[in-house]
Amino acid sequence: MNKQFDFKLDRFYNSNHLWMKKGDNGHVTVGMDELGLDSLGEMAYLTLPAVGTPVEMGKAMGSMEAAKMTGELFAPISGIVVEKNDAVLQNPLLVNEDSYDTGWLVKIEPANWTEESAAMVSGDALSGWIDAEIERFEIQGIIE
Amino acid sequence: MNTWRYIKNDRVTAFAGLAADEILANRVGAGTSQPTLRLYTYQPCALVGRFQTIENELNLDYCAKNKIPVNRRPTGGGAIIMGENQLGVALAIPGKSDETYANARERMAQFSQGIISGMATLGIDVEFRRKNDLEVKGKKIAGLGLHKTNTGGLLFHASLLVDLDVPYMLNVLQTPFEKISDKEIDTVAERTTTVQREVESPLAMDEIRHIILNGYKNAFHSNILLNDYSDEEIVEIHQLEKDKYMDSDWIFQSTEVPDSTGKSVIKTDGGLLDIRIVLAGKMIKSAYIGGDFFTSEHAIADLEQSLRWHSSRDKLLTETLSQVYERWSSDLANLSMESLRKAITSAIQKAEIMARKTSSDPYGCFVSPRGAHA
Repeated sequence: MNKQFDFKLDRFYNSNHLWMKKGDNGHVTVGMDELGLDSLGEMAYLTLPAVGTPVEMGKAMGSMEAAKMTGELFAPISGIVVEKNDAVLQNPLLVNEDSYDTGWLVKIEPANWTEESAAMVSGDALSGWIDAEIERFEIQGIIE
Repeated sequence: MNTWRYIKNDRVTAFAGLAADEILANRVGAGTSQPTLRLYTYQPCALVGRFQTIENELNLDYCAKNKIPVNRRPTGGGAIIMGENQLGVALAIPGKSDETYANARERMAQFSQGIISGMATLGIDVEFRRKNDLEVKGKKIAGLGLHKTNTGGLLFHASLLVDLDVPYMLNVLQTPFEKISDKEIDTVAERTTTVQREVESPLAMDEIRHIILNGYKNAFHSNILLNDYSDEEIVEIHQLEKDKYMDSDWIFQSTEVPDSTGKSVIKTDGGLLDIRIVLAGKMIKSAYIGGDFFTSEHAIADLEQSLRWHSSRDKLLTETLSQVYERWSSDLANLSMESLRKAITSAIQKAEIMARKTSSDPYGCFVSPRGAHA
């Protein structure tokens, strides 16, 4: 492995390399993890759902243009968007520079958090999953 | 050895060409179609990138008057003209693990290898240039784009300049030039090249297509066999044409962060420096560097390319300019980096002021009716 990737241990992750963190008010903050961002390159443009938009796990909720490709952003959970980060719309590079803090994307009021979060990776399972994902990305040539 | 399908089309309409590529990538990602290389030409049209503001990129009046259709690609990058002298290259392959592109360090560079390998047989030395250009000795010969579909399919797009009518292109595209004279035409011609300019005697489009096809066969060690669309694919393509690429919501969609422009003209020791910047939020979408100072067009093209989709922050700007000046130290000797940095910063500030003015105007153009295809 040539690169080190930072993963915060206090969050949940999905296979699209989005992270989720549930706050005290029950709202789930969503962002991109470092490994996913390394495969996309620098963000150039983002669209995000408006506040009040219902989103469904696995369905498109926005889109992005990064240095290496364009594509859709898929909602990691179902629920209602309660906040979107206007700072990353103005400055998409913030997602690359501060992915776990000010570079978050949206906050969602979850509809089925208990069920949907069971399919995500967190806690003790994280370490093994990260190693496997890095290996997968390296084999596929997605990261150097 | 992998087996891919090869589809050859000519003079397709903008909506049909784009819909076919997207359906192929969707289906290849879902595993219902085989990986496909498509080499095709369009009827004359103009295509903007996924997140571009169409009225800022294309001269829509000219296009309407001359019946030139306009449309929006799913891939990123800039506005382009397509027609009988530009070869469209679309490669639809699955985005999952596949030995075809295992160990690719950069997928875009990997997917360009077919073009690079083909052009090499003509003695043309084409290089991949991050993030989305192919160049010959610093001059652009093809634009590239990559899109991941919701089924996990990957669509690699390239437009290869086989020949180029520069005055026509400058009329179709919105340019930073106040008028289009021989000087402006020469400037653009100096920063681009074409297959026909690089070879000794003209080649027919079919010859070039054959060369590119063989380039992909060699680069990917693939068996690529001529075939056509399946009946199912044709039905889906026609549906997507209607649902998306013929829909003005898709073509004319606006973005939440609108563009603003800034201009700065300053006198330097080397001559007059004329900078135009298009800004979206904190990102420089494009930069034009002109003036009457003496330098190589290659160095200027490199500067402009390096500033595309670049942060407008001063620190990052200075870092990038330093890197370009290291590459072209003698060519840029007459244009001091500090003068250039100041002019760019000034143009950015003006664009920011314009953005603030427009956003505070309730009757401005910021109504952003997000289309159904956002």
